[in-house]
Amino acid sequence: MKEKALLKGNIAIATAALNCGCNCYFGYPITPQTEIGEFLSVEMQNRNLGFVCAESEIAAINMALGAASTGAKVMTSSSSCAVALMQESLSYAASDELPIVLINVMRAGPGQGYIYSSQGDYNQATIGGGNGDYKTIVLSPSSVQECYDMTQKAFYLAQKYRNPVILLVEGLLGQMAEPVILNENPYPEIDNSSWKLDGAKNRPSRKIHSLEPNQIKLCNHIQDLFKKYKTIEQNETDWEEYCCDDADILITAFGAYARNTKAVCDYFRKKGIKVGLFRPKTLYPFPSKRLATISKNVHFIIDIEMNCGQMEKDVALATLGSVPIWNITKPVGDILSPETLIKKIEDIIEQEEKKYANNI
Amino acid sequence: MNKNFIISGSGGQGILSIGSILANIFMLEDLFVTYCTCYGAEMRGGAVNCEINVSDKEINSLKNEKTDFLIALNQASLNKFTSKVKEGGTIIANSSLAKIEKIRNDVKYIFAPLSEEAAKLGNIKMTNSIALGILGKISGNINIEKIKEGYKKILQNKTELIEKNIEAFMLGFNYVQEGK
Repeated sequence: MKEKALLKGNIAIATAALNCGCNCYFGYPITPQTEIGEFLSVEMQNRNLGFVCAESEIAAINMALGAASTGAKVMTSSSSCAVALMQESLSYAASDELPIVLINVMRAGPGQGYIYSSQGDYNQATIGGGNGDYKTIVLSPSSVQECYDMTQKAFYLAQKYRNPVILLVEGLLGQMAEPVILNENPYPEIDNSSWKLDGAKNRPSRKIHSLEPNQIKLCNHIQDLFKKYKTIEQNETDWEEYCCDDADILITAFGAYARNTKAVCDYFRKKGIKVGLFRPKTLYPFPSKRLATISKNVHFIIDIEMNCGQMEKDVALATLGSVPIWNITKPVGDILSPETLIKKIEDIIEQEEKKYANNI
Repeated sequence: MNKNFIISGSGGQGILSIGSILANIFMLEDLFVTYCTCYGAEMRGGAVNCEINVSDKEINSLKNEKTDFLIALNQASLNKFTSKVKEGGTIIANSSLAKIEKIRNDVKYIFAPLSEEAAKLGNIKMTNSIALGILGKISGNINIEKIKEGYKKILQNKTELIEKNIEAFMLGFNYVQEGK
C-alpha cells in the first residue's frame, strides 16, 4: 500500500515538488505559505539541491527565471500581495517561455489586507498583471490531496508547454491538514535539451530573451505563443461535475470552497430539489465549452466565491447570457458554512419562483 | 458517521500536539479527517485552538458552526467555545484552571482537575494527554489499539515520552469509568 500521511496543504505542496524532481526553490517568507520555504530549507539542503531565501519576492522570481533558463525544475511560492510584485517577471517568463511553477497561497487583499483566507486572486492569476499578451496556466485544488497531485501536474505542464504555471490555493487549504496518499510522480520527464542554456560547447550558441526589435519576428513570436495557448486549451482543460446531469440549479465554485457547496447539493437533493456543482480545476484554461453545454438545461446558476464575484464573468462569458446568474459572495475570512449557504440559496429560489409567477 | 471536535487552551499546553495525534489516529483507521489550527504569534500563553472533523465519507463541510465535543484546558477557552457546542454535545474542561460552572443545561459537562492529575503523574505537561484519554472514552470513536501508533507519528522515537503519555491517556480513559 502507498504511504499515507497527515499533511498541511503547504507541506503537501513542498513534498510533491521534491517528489517530482524540483531542484531549485527561491522564495521569501510570507504568511500563510511560509511552511513551504521552511520545509524545503531543510529538505533541499539535505538532498544537496538549490534553496535560496531571497531578499525579496522580486529577487526570488527573477532567480527562478535565471535557473529555469538553464533547464532546472524551478519553484517559487508566495502569497497575494507579494505575488503582485512578481507580475512583471511572470510576463517575462511567459515571453521567454520559461517553465516556472508559482504557488500562490492566497490571503486577503487588496493592498496589504491581512492573513485571512481569501479567493481574491482569481483575476490576478487568470488575467495576470504583467504587460503584453500572455497567459499562465492556473490550477485550483480543493483538497490537500489535490494540492499534492496538482503540484506534480504543475511541474509537468510547465515543462511540457514551457510556460509559467500558477497553483492557486486558499490560505485555508495551505493551513489545513488532511490525509494524503503520497503517489509517485505519474508524469513523464520532458526533454529540454533543445532550448536550455547549459553551455555552448560542441553546439551553436543560444539565447533566451524577450527583447525583439524586429516587428515581424515579434509578431510571429506572439502568434506562436497563442498557438501554444490554443493547444493548452484543447488538451489541458479540466473540471469536476457533481450531480450535474439532471440539475435544475447549477452552482459554480472553485477551490476548497467548492467542497462546502457539495454538502449544499446533498441537502437539496434530499429535499428533491436538483442542485449540481460545476467546479473548474483549471481556471485558465477555463472549461467554458462544458459549462455552456451543462447550463443549457438549468434554470439558473449560482456563483459562489470568497471574493466579490471574480469568476462570475467567466461563467457569464461561457453561458453568453443564456441563463440568469446569481451570486453569493463574501470577500475574505471564514468560508460560509453549508447551513448559511443553504439559507441564502433558499432565498434565491424563492425570488426566482416569484419572478416566474409574475411572468405568467 | 460525522463528528466534530474543538480542542482549545493556551500556547504551551500541547493543544496542537493532541489535536494532530487525534487526527492521525483517525487517519490510521482510514477515516476521512480534516485538521485546522488557529494560533497567535506567541509560543506560550496565547490562545490556541484546533478543529477536527472526522467522517466515514468525504468531508464536504470545511466550516462548521457547531461542534460535538469541546476540550477546554483553561477558563478563557471554555468561555470562548461553550456556545459552539451542539445541543447534546460534551464539554471536557480542566477544573484546575477553570471554574466548575455549568452555564448550559443542554450539554454534558465533564470537569476534571487535569493539571493536578498530571502533576501527580510527575509531569504537568501530560495534562493534554489525560484530556485526550477522557475524550477517547466518551466519544467512543477512538480505536484504543491505534493510540500508540498515533503518538508515534508525532513523538517519533521518543519511546519514554510515548510510554508516559500513554499512561496519562489511560488515566484519562479510566477516569470517567470510575464515575468521578
